[in-house]
Amino acid sequence: MKDFIGLRAVRGAGYTLLLLLEALGYINHAWKRRRALFTQMHVIGTQSLAITCFFMLLVGMVFALQTGIEFARFGQTSLVGLVIVSAMVRELGPWMTAFVLIARVGSSMAAEIGTMKTSEEIDALEVMSINPVSFVVMPRLIGYAIMGPILTVFGTLVGVAGGALVANVQLGVPLADFLRFAERGAEPLDVYWGLLKSLVFSLCAGAVACSNGMRTSGGAVGVGRASRNTVVVALTLTVFLNYLLTSFYRMVKRLVAGIL
Amino acid sequence: MQTEDPHTEALVDSTPVVEFTGVCKMLGNRKILDNLSFGVQRGETFVIIGYSGTGKSVTLRNLIGLMRPDEGSIRVAGEEITTMTNKELEVMRRKFGVLFQSGALIAWLDLFQNVELPLLEHSKMSRRKRAEIVQQKLELVNLWQDKDKFPAEISGGMKKRAGLARAIALDPELVLYDEPSSGLDPVIGYEIDKLINRLRDQLKMTQIVVTHDMESAYTIASRIGMFYQGGMLQIGTPDEIRTSEIEEVQHFITGGRKGAVSRRSTTAILKGRSPTLSARLEAGHDEAHTATETGGDAAPEIMELEPEPSPPEPENKP
Ligand SMILES: Nc1ncnc2c1ncn2[C@@H]1O[C@H](COP(=O)(O)OP(=O)(O)OP(=O)(O)O)[C@@H](O)[C@H]1O
Ligand SMILES: [Mg+2]
Repeated sequence: MKDFIGLRAVRGAGYTLLLLLEALGYINHAWKRRRALFTQMHVIGTQSLAITCFFMLLVGMVFALQTGIEFARFGQTSLVGLVIVSAMVRELGPWMTAFVLIARVGSSMAAEIGTMKTSEEIDALEVMSINPVSFVVMPRLIGYAIMGPILTVFGTLVGVAGGALVANVQLGVPLADFLRFAERGAEPLDVYWGLLKSLVFSLCAGAVACSNGMRTSGGAVGVGRASRNTVVVALTLTVFLNYLLTSFYRMVKRLVAGIL
Repeated sequence: MQTEDPHTEALVDSTPVVEFTGVCKMLGNRKILDNLSFGVQRGETFVIIGYSGTGKSVTLRNLIGLMRPDEGSIRVAGEEITTMTNKELEVMRRKFGVLFQSGALIAWLDLFQNVELPLLEHSKMSRRKRAEIVQQKLELVNLWQDKDKFPAEISGGMKKRAGLARAIALDPELVLYDEPSSGLDPVIGYEIDKLINRLRDQLKMTQIVVTHDMESAYTIASRIGMFYQGGMLQIGTPDEIRTSEIEEVQHFITGGRKGAVSRRSTTAILKGRSPTLSARLEAGHDEAHTATETGGDAAPEIMELEPEPSPPEPENKP
């Protein structure tokens, strides 16, 4: 019974959810722990900026190339701007950024907290009456939640720029044409929605990482396991949530369109 | 050096600060603590000795509320801690200083910040006052010159000393040590022993020390308790332990050179009784008829019973 994998997963999910809520409940400690928070924002955000931009640049370029081939068959190559912007803002930007962050930040966050757990640091905090959720989890989670959407903005912009570059150089779409259609690719609501998605992904991935870290047991092997589980679970969860959120968004948009 | 012998009972008043009564704890499928009872007096240094992997750390974890016992009562300064809510525990723990087996310093803070941490969290001191206290504590453990180093940059012994400085930063009434001298060279180990004695003599702290090191136990102990099969096999002054007639105790304190670990049934084990053990031992002796079953050269039973401690599962706190 104890090793029944489904039960363990349910228990893990429950713990993760509670941890997320508890950490958000300590948000009033954020000012007191601003130094830790800024450190985390730096580690999660600033240090991930380059890799995120590089990643998104190439995603945008490949995407432009692929769609360009298809559009060329109908002589509509200038439409790539529209497709790229709408895809970037609504889907690729938020999710691909989440993907990069999970790989770069989530795994190491779980390993770091896991190491603290196995080396009795978490216990020591508790004994000093310092709540580990407030001291360790909250700054990481909030840092993640702040930097995820910010990186998404950068990533999306760079991705669109990569698309424009390819459209211009390889597909022969003048920049003016690209931009003209690009404008129609996303309305403000899409932008907000994309950012909201990014926030949800960040909170999810951060909570999964911290929860796996806090549940670590069994020395170095356990730390490795925590880090691996984090990547697997966070990726699965975000990709699944992404689908749900997009379905929901489509429904809302159709409703709104129906009313107007 | 004091003129008085620090080990005399006269220094120790008799209100128990810590009192275990019939504490039981199952972990995995094993009863790690089995009807454990003992008391620690104010101002004394109580040393717990015992074989590796038998539950000494678990005893400490129950005392600080990181684990809760299945049965029994643990009182700290008269207050029952087994039934405390987490909030109450938080308040109670401020009376505690704990030195963990590995030091447990926070990896991203330097030594100064590590020692400052409890002050920062639990007092409204000015920055200057904090710095003063941190300096005083770090100088006490001889680490002031290393205050800017991070835990990853210092040796195990330094980590332990820094952990000690942090443990006593708030001048706790009760300090717990999990193997303060293991992994240290004898000179630094002795330094720590002297420190522990100084805390008792000068700051009147009550201390509980878990150790394997008999040399150190004799140096620091007001009383020694031998932990065996989930309970206290014998509690006594260092001299009483040194001259103990109980075979298991002799076996342990001489490092296996004397005495055999017999197949004496657990019923014969005294659990947390006062120092006068011999009489009670005599009383329990008829039950221990199997004591002669194993010769002195037999592999100690303890080794079969307690294999390498498997990696502990965490106590999940939702
Ligand atoms: N959380 C836990 N879950 C399950 N078993 C545990 C847990 N913690 C400890 N144990 C088991 O309890 C036993 C006692 O462990 P403990 O750490 O108290 O030993 P110890 O006496 O401190 O040993 P050492 O001197 O080596 O530190 C070990 O066999 C260990 O496997
Ligand atoms: Mg131990």
